[in-house]
Amino acid sequence: MSVEPRRSKLVARLTHPVARPLASVYRWVDERMGISDLVYKALYEAVPRRGAWTYTLGSVTLIIIALQIVTGMFLLWSYVPSTTEAWLSLNYLAHHNEFGAIVRGMHLWGAYVLLLVIGLHMVRTFVSGSYKKPRELNWITGVILFLLVLALGITGAMLPWDQAAFWTTVVTTHVLSYVPLLGHWLQEVWRGGNQVGPVTLTRTFAIHIWLLPALLVPLIGLHIYLLRRHGEHGSWVNYRNDPEESERERADRVLRAEPPYPAVPSDPAYSVPDDLDEFFPSQVGKDAIVSFVAVLIIFVMAVVVGSPLEAPANAASLTYVPTPEWFFLPLDQLLVQFPQAWMIPVGVFIIPGLASTLLIMVPFLDRSPDREPWKRPQLMVPALFTLLFLIFEALLGVNRLFNL
Amino acid sequence: MPAVLSIAPHLVPVGVSTAVATALVGLLMLTHIQFAAFQQGGAMLAALFDFLGMVRRDERQTRFARGMLKTMALAFTIGSALAIFAVMILFTGLWSHFWVKLLRILFWPLVVEAGAFVLEIIALYTLYVGWDRLGRVRPLRVGLELVLVIDLFVQMLMINFVASYMLTPRPAFDLPLILLNPTLLPLEVHRLIGNVAFAGALVALVAGWRMLRARTPAQRAYADWMGAIGAVTAISFTALQPLVGWEYAKEVQLHAYASWYDMMLGGLSVAFLFQMFLLGLILTAGIFFFWRRVRTSGFRSPTLALCAVLSLGAWLLGATPSSLAWTYEQVFAANANVPIWNGGLLIPFGQMIPWKLTALVAFTFVSITAVTVFLREVSRGHLRWGEARRSQAVALITMGVAVSLIMALMGFIRENARGPFLITNQMLINQQQNFVPPSSAGPAQAGAAAGANLVLGGP
Repeated sequence: MSVEPRRSKLVARLTHPVARPLASVYRWVDERMGISDLVYKALYEAVPRRGAWTYTLGSVTLIIIALQIVTGMFLLWSYVPSTTEAWLSLNYLAHHNEFGAIVRGMHLWGAYVLLLVIGLHMVRTFVSGSYKKPRELNWITGVILFLLVLALGITGAMLPWDQAAFWTTVVTTHVLSYVPLLGHWLQEVWRGGNQVGPVTLTRTFAIHIWLLPALLVPLIGLHIYLLRRHGEHGSWVNYRNDPEESERERADRVLRAEPPYPAVPSDPAYSVPDDLDEFFPSQVGKDAIVSFVAVLIIFVMAVVVGSPLEAPANAASLTYVPTPEWFFLPLDQLLVQFPQAWMIPVGVFIIPGLASTLLIMVPFLDRSPDREPWKRPQLMVPALFTLLFLIFEALLGVNRLFNL
Repeated sequence: MPAVLSIAPHLVPVGVSTAVATALVGLLMLTHIQFAAFQQGGAMLAALFDFLGMVRRDERQTRFARGMLKTMALAFTIGSALAIFAVMILFTGLWSHFWVKLLRILFWPLVVEAGAFVLEIIALYTLYVGWDRLGRVRPLRVGLELVLVIDLFVQMLMINFVASYMLTPRPAFDLPLILLNPTLLPLEVHRLIGNVAFAGALVALVAGWRMLRARTPAQRAYADWMGAIGAVTAISFTALQPLVGWEYAKEVQLHAYASWYDMMLGGLSVAFLFQMFLLGLILTAGIFFFWRRVRTSGFRSPTLALCAVLSLGAWLLGATPSSLAWTYEQVFAANANVPIWNGGLLIPFGQMIPWKLTALVAFTFVSITAVTVFLREVSRGHLRWGEARRSQAVALITMGVAVSLIMALMGFIRENARGPFLITNQMLINQQQNFVPPSSAGPAQAGAAAGANLVLGGP
């Protein structure tokens, strides 16, 4: 079914405020800025109808990132990035500022849920073959975004300057020293010397709130632009590929397709979904419901579980056993398996580096036209093994989490 | 005698030698493990294939799921009878002191285990008896199969609490810490994967047997397809085992060093080396099947041929003892001139790093590549089911038998690695066999009772 864009009453209310005094102001601004057109373009596009709930994960990711920015801003009002004040400022939030404690909890649990949602989003995209031509760059930007979020997660874990944060900083910056040739230089740059100290915290703070977001935000923009340019691919269930449809009929269908399908020439069989729906209100509604549930989970976890704050950092401690954040458990467990000094770079860089490179290269490794997962075993089987490997590594790494 | 009975007869073992008691329980439990492992792996395969059969409307997959559940129901009768006999008669009679202590410490997990056992009976026999009627509401049937899968997972977890506790008990006095001991998770993951691989290997074994006995093209085609399913499952999951097994061994090394030493460098290293031999046999036989099966359908796959060669190389590397004794001096150095019962014939497992590790890594990567290439050939429609030859059926049977042997061998190694302890550093085998209960409720007994309460978290 082709979607004929139309303005619903709801949108009319959005773009033309009812209140008379504001209407004239709105029209004045609208004439100069084209807000109505912008809103119209943002809300009206065709999306695949089948499997729509699974396409909400990208929107949920965006909402949680926005939540992270907002809660991060609130935290900046209290947090002091110095080795003497950082722990005290968060301890104040934990014990004397209930709102602050919840905000910090939401920031922490938001990061956890964000990583899970991005993971699911990537799995969905991978299984459905949505990275194929012409959406290769969508995938690549998505993978880089995922890596940036991981980097935000680890730098964020260093900021509280409690025992966990301090030793995480020690281990993370130490790991850098294993980078071939540049290792020690990188370590010194991050640490601001040979030892972890005040400069390390300042630099980690700067990386967390300036450097990484400065890379993240434009990349999100690019990711969304690419999504809008090529349209949501959906999955193979949206493309019937009727064998009785002639080449001419198919070409006609593609020609008459609702924008943005197809933005650029690609495989005709997967150019235009068979059954389309409106982004607004249909898909936006689903996005809103799932996003609401995600934010609710984050809020509940923030209130019920909260965010831990261990004893203040103590570089002289001989008994403290550092444990990694759960999302680094597979990597930590990998390190356990490479105990000898000469093998550590294998666990630290070669395997994770190779895995990240392969992840980015996925669209170029699988250039077959097929979208069904069972017709792409050359990629699905190794991916399944990798996923199982990560899950098992994380499970086995729980021993480290509980200091067993 | 009456005096002994009046003291605490329930704690005094029946008077047979330790060797006989060990052999009886060992034999029974190693057999029971085969049935239990098949139940867990089989339930997963049955649920998966019934689901796939429903979604893809594939009658062959539904038939496979039904066959699997039917076999599970039959196997359950024997497996559960063995377990009941072991618990009711052998444990209670021959290992009474140990059994009572273990039961007291791990009371709640064993209660959950019994509950899960009841649920298994209900779910499995409901599926067995009502397969066709439940088929009218397919999601309900698949849902019940999922319940069975979860139930069997819980059952295995409870038993793993016991097994891991015996190897690496935590010096703690509360149940959560006792349960979450260092080898629990590695053992759980190791067994979960192993059980699916085992079920797949048994499917392959039965399929190989059916291929040899098939009389009609339809029978041959189904057996051929079933063999491929079994081989893919067995090889895929076995490919993960070297890594998980390595991590399991590392935890044992960290927390029960004597057991680890015994396995890798001591008396059990011979058995461990044989395990490496079996692992190589399983993977090589499976990869050989993939390679030749594709070739039989008229397609050459140089990658699969290379995988078969590499697997053979890894097998040789992995199964070679570290001490190859060609001269008398070497025999003497390897302690091979002394009978095994006197501590001789110790063939250390060998240098784990880098040789055995290289072999394990090669096994994993070669197996994953072989499964991937084989499935790619299947997805391209290159295989015509029913064309498998005799040699491929034999490869499947070999793989199945080898997996069954390795399951028994791993159980043997795990149970013997604790020696001379029944519970590492807490109870010696001799202590339990020569156990004499206190003769009166004097201070010594009161002290022992207080100690027991401390361990059990009682009042």
